[in-house]
Amino acid sequence: MKRIIALLLAFMMVLSLTTTITASAEEKIKLTFFHRWPNEPKGPYMDEVIRKFEEAYPNIDIVVIDPVLNDSYKEKIRVLIGSSDIPDVFMSWSGSFGANLVKSGRVLPLDDMIAANPEWSGKIIDSQWGPFQYDGKQYGIPWSMDGKVFYYNKTVFVELGLQEPDTWDEFITVLKTLQENGYPHPISAGFQAEWAVSHYLGAMVQRRVDPDVVTKDYALEGDFTDQGYVDTLNSFLELKEYMNEDPNSVDHSFARNLFIDGESVLCLMQLAEIKRVEDGADFEYSFFDMPALPGGLGDPDELEGAPEGMMISAECEHPEAAAEFVRFFISEENGALMTKMTGELSCVEGAVNPDSVSTPIQLDAVELIKKASGTTLWQDNAVDATVASAFMKGGQLLYTGDKTAEQVMEDVRAALELAKQK
Amino acid sequence: MMMQRTTRLQGKKRQKTPWSAYLYVFPMVVLMGVFIYYPIFVNFYYTLYNFSAFSLSHTFVGLGNIRLLLSDPVIATALRNNIFYCLISIGFQVLLALGLAFILEEPLYRRFSTVFRTTYFIPVLISMTIVAMLFMQILSPRGLLNSFLSLFGGKVRTGWLGRSSSAIFCAIFMSQWHSMGYTTMLFIVDIQKIPTELLEAAEIDGANRIQRFLKIVVPLVREMFFVVMVTTVSGAFLVFNDVYVLTRGGPGNSSTTLAVYMYDMAFTQDRMGYASTIAILMFVICVILALTQRRLLRTGKG
Amino acid sequence: MKKVTCSVKKKKIGFPKFNSSRNQWTLGTVIILFFLLVYFVLVIYPLIWMILSSLKTEREFFRNIWGFPAEFQWENYSKAWSMGISDYFLNSVFVTACTIATTISIAVLAAFGLVLYDFKGKNLILLLGMGGMMFSAQVALIPLYRVIQNLRIHDTYWAMILPYTAFRMSISLLLIRSYFLSIPREMYESGVIDGCSSLGILYHIYLPMSKPILLTVSILIAYYSWNEFLFSIIFIDSRALKTIPSGLMVFRDALNTDYALLFAGLTISALPMVLLFILMQKQFIRGLSSGAVKG
Repeated sequence: MKRIIALLLAFMMVLSLTTTITASAEEKIKLTFFHRWPNEPKGPYMDEVIRKFEEAYPNIDIVVIDPVLNDSYKEKIRVLIGSSDIPDVFMSWSGSFGANLVKSGRVLPLDDMIAANPEWSGKIIDSQWGPFQYDGKQYGIPWSMDGKVFYYNKTVFVELGLQEPDTWDEFITVLKTLQENGYPHPISAGFQAEWAVSHYLGAMVQRRVDPDVVTKDYALEGDFTDQGYVDTLNSFLELKEYMNEDPNSVDHSFARNLFIDGESVLCLMQLAEIKRVEDGADFEYSFFDMPALPGGLGDPDELEGAPEGMMISAECEHPEAAAEFVRFFISEENGALMTKMTGELSCVEGAVNPDSVSTPIQLDAVELIKKASGTTLWQDNAVDATVASAFMKGGQLLYTGDKTAEQVMEDVRAALELAKQK
Repeated sequence: MMMQRTTRLQGKKRQKTPWSAYLYVFPMVVLMGVFIYYPIFVNFYYTLYNFSAFSLSHTFVGLGNIRLLLSDPVIATALRNNIFYCLISIGFQVLLALGLAFILEEPLYRRFSTVFRTTYFIPVLISMTIVAMLFMQILSPRGLLNSFLSLFGGKVRTGWLGRSSSAIFCAIFMSQWHSMGYTTMLFIVDIQKIPTELLEAAEIDGANRIQRFLKIVVPLVREMFFVVMVTTVSGAFLVFNDVYVLTRGGPGNSSTTLAVYMYDMAFTQDRMGYASTIAILMFVICVILALTQRRLLRTGKG
Repeated sequence: MKKVTCSVKKKKIGFPKFNSSRNQWTLGTVIILFFLLVYFVLVIYPLIWMILSSLKTEREFFRNIWGFPAEFQWENYSKAWSMGISDYFLNSVFVTACTIATTISIAVLAAFGLVLYDFKGKNLILLLGMGGMMFSAQVALIPLYRVIQNLRIHDTYWAMILPYTAFRMSISLLLIRSYFLSIPREMYESGVIDGCSSLGILYHIYLPMSKPILLTVSILIAYYSWNEFLFSIIFIDSRALKTIPSGLMVFRDALNTDYALLFAGLTISALPMVLLFILMQKQFIRGLSSGAVKG
């Protein structure tokens, strides 16, 4: 009897050991690194840079924590930050997401490191620093930059003699012309995943509503009563008749496919998607920033799309080594490699160059980002999740006809109350 | 008889080694205690607080979450959807499945019935995630359903999953597609236990097919009927996978269910206290159903 | 009920087998057959479509939704397999195997203890053991999430195996216990006479006799843990640990629009249970139906 109990116990213990055994201690400096790209094409890129780094710094060993996708990453990084095994180096979004991490007090301010390496830090595109500054300190190094813009089919635009619109009225005129000329659904959109709604609304709210009001409201100190929000939602609804049927029923990649297939002429996409469009489209295309909204109080030259960057743990035992790793990662050479391998735009000046791009359009994209007067954060990163969700769900219900713009804003205000209670 | 036997045995063992008895049940008690009973118990306490998954600070809100629950319009939508789920599932997975089982067991159809019932059972074997991803493509504007409908004229490009009027019904009918073969199989197993002589005799007495079904089959599968009924109903009130994968509760919250809404509150909005309160609502529904089942089974047996 | 059966049997004696109306085709029965066929097509066609689509190119999938692929793209399968399905597949196998092992070991021990011994609190333990059936995972998810975190097994295989075991315990215990109850106690006594310890009796006498029920229970557990979704999306973050149902979500996101590849992945993932069913149809149905009746 005892033997069998012992056997059972041994079986249990063996099972539990398999999950707890970890690498034994070693002489090398060990840095843990957490990112969120398990898949192609960024996963292999990360592996490649890590390989190069370990080759160049044989005394440092990078231990990658098994990467997880978006939502899981958000959750897991918060868990890790709250726990004792916070990774030494990790990726973060800018804006409120980074702010929450910084609030924990466990993220290292990097101002000294930046000042000590002026030649390196001077090469990072200026406009990208801001979103990682909290309380006047720099907590993250911008790594990749992005922007949300309307891609348009240039071939069709030229054929019909259309210009890039600057204002909302011009925009609607363009859409009408397209509709009259054989494109019943000139814009393709996929709102099945909620974030796609928030990318429209974030940019449009910035264009329309007084920036001071937005700042206050997003910080949960306002009341979301500005008429501008209702107007924004109504403008958003105006686009419905130019879109594919039931945009709520398809996801963003489906919308992109409609654009690539030439069924639609416009699609709101990230600059990081150039490579995907390039692979499929057999026409010329370009892009323009979200047009100014009627009665708009926000700067119409801002560009929506915040950078992602790298942070270092305040509890890292080898901050110099970690800084070395960050500088290695965010360098002209590896930025160029990123653009080449993944199509993402590096924040390092000169990394996106004629040699690293797969199409000259990526150079235009960098110009567009540099030209922008500022960065509008993604709405779902800029405001509390409950409020953001009310906007996104509201946007969907606006399109199904279940809610009016006023009703959506009522929901947003209700969400605000809940968010304050958190 | 069996009772006597075990009692005798237990009586014998009583003085000998009672402690080893505890050793035998110990792992089970610990496991179920930690993973089932403790969470259920603590859940009641959780509803009194507002808290986030990642911080230790709890704010006491008393019955605030329950009050919120009662006035939350999304809860009403979710309950309505769960009730739709329930009613339609009863129609297909209980009533229709019973009829189907009877038909498949009729001698007239026997030569096809193996093929039919095996095929009907195949969806049961396929994980709901797979089924939902398949149905997303079938129901997409350019999907199989629309290209089928387009055969009857016109170019149909309806986004079935993108309309608040149809999204939840897409999920419900997908669920019937997935599970009807299962309940049919259960009824078939039960009908096969009915002695054939019984049905043949009824026929000699002049009972037609419908009478045989109502007078003989239905009373004899009554117990299974209650079982299937209760599992179907509780399944309908707890449904998560189907809706989560197919629509994620959208557009808006129009196709959400209690479980999906709870998940959303807990893991996307980080409102853990409120999510626990939604769980309590499901718990109450669950317990009521379980008690009903026991009562029904008792009358079913009697 | 007994009475009816008796009288029927009596009746039957007097009548030879006859050609009943049940075997004649009428308009009504043909219409019913038609509906059976419609349901048949409704079930089988999407599955065939899934398989056909998995053999198309991405473009064909969009442009030619009905037709046959011009050329069978078998490499979709090897691509899908190497793009992650293989990992999810092996994880599912591992987690399912472990869940079966732990559930059966614990349930067998508990059932044996409950059948053979009488002790204080036995009824309570029996009630608790069976009571688990009343509750499904959804009703206490948040505290369970906390428990998993506090035990520091979040994002490990244990975060699936242990809850699966707990939630399959009641039904397994019920089935195994009622089987043990039907084993004559003389078997136990003969074991005692042979000088076996009680665990020895369990191992050498009870277990070999219980093979059919253990197989049934195993199938029941396998069906559950192979398809479980809620725990595996909440308790597991790492792609490397995901099982098929949750891994497919990652797989889909990673693909963007290559639906043909997605369908190849879906087909591979659907296959094992279908094969298991085909190989062990009888046991499978017995397993699922006893699971339903008792659970």
